[in-house]
Amino acid sequence: MDAKVDKTLKITTPSDLEIAMTREFDAPRHLVFDAMTKPEYVRRWFGCEAFTLPVCEIDLRVGGAYRFTMRTPDGVDSTLAGTYREVVRPERIVFTERFSMPGFTSDEYQVTSTFMEAGGKTTLTTTILHATKANRDGHLNSGIEKGVEPAYDRLAEVVATMD
Amino acid sequence: MPLDPLSTTFAALADPTRRAILSRLALGQTSVLELAEPFEMSLPAISKHLKVLERAGLIARGREAQWRPCRIAPVSLRQVDGWLANFRKFWDENFNRLDGLLEEMKAEEAVKAAARTKPKVRVRKEKPRGRKSR
Repeated sequence: MDAKVDKTLKITTPSDLEIAMTREFDAPRHLVFDAMTKPEYVRRWFGCEAFTLPVCEIDLRVGGAYRFTMRTPDGVDSTLAGTYREVVRPERIVFTERFSMPGFTSDEYQVTSTFMEAGGKTTLTTTILHATKANRDGHLNSGIEKGVEPAYDRLAEVVATMD
Repeated sequence: MPLDPLSTTFAALADPTRRAILSRLALGQTSVLELAEPFEMSLPAISKHLKVLERAGLIARGREAQWRPCRIAPVSLRQVDGWLANFRKFWDENFNRLDGLLEEMKAEEAVKAAARTKPKVRVRKEKPRGRKSR
């Protein structure tokens, strides 16, 4: 009965204002929840390969703030920061967030994560709700200038994800 | 109100026939006739799809030759590719690292659980309860 964990990241746009991500983890939800909400754990996975994480602060309670700052090798900081709206360990967490980097600060958006456990595995569903469609599109487009150089042979794959 | 460029691109990609056309064109440029072949559709219907793709900037059609070869336009596709790929790449990489951490956390928890149960067994041996266990 040990169902295999499907570690594919599924990204959908349930409405014009939302982005939804679903991912399964081979661990009970209290561990997934802690890994995502305790700084000593977050430091070990969040960010980008080449970036450092000089700021990783979490005040996990309703009204509490958090701040993650990523730094590129040439010293450019980008920050994700916000306030917790709901904290129900290990089921659900809701927070507001803004992304900022030199010359750009996003509007605020709301992030809702739910942790569903079955047979020792956890399904994480994260829904990001923006105030406008333009903001939502911009969010998905983030990082484009950093450039993953697309190749023609990836076309079929890209088109397949549009379903 | 006109759609923004990205919305036009995505509207064009929303149709399975148009995605199939793009997949075919990814292999190289070709004529409308050749493109229409695998579909149970009239040439005018295929031409309509091509117009949508062209307006979205996803394909370009040659003006020079009489057979008007169709090919993929790289600019829009780069935009679409970037649109999803960067967001996906960021979270894919993060979650893959999280998988590794969760394995460690599970192992730690198992060690702690084992450490907790050992003394309990001893306590029970020292102070047996009155009830019969079997």
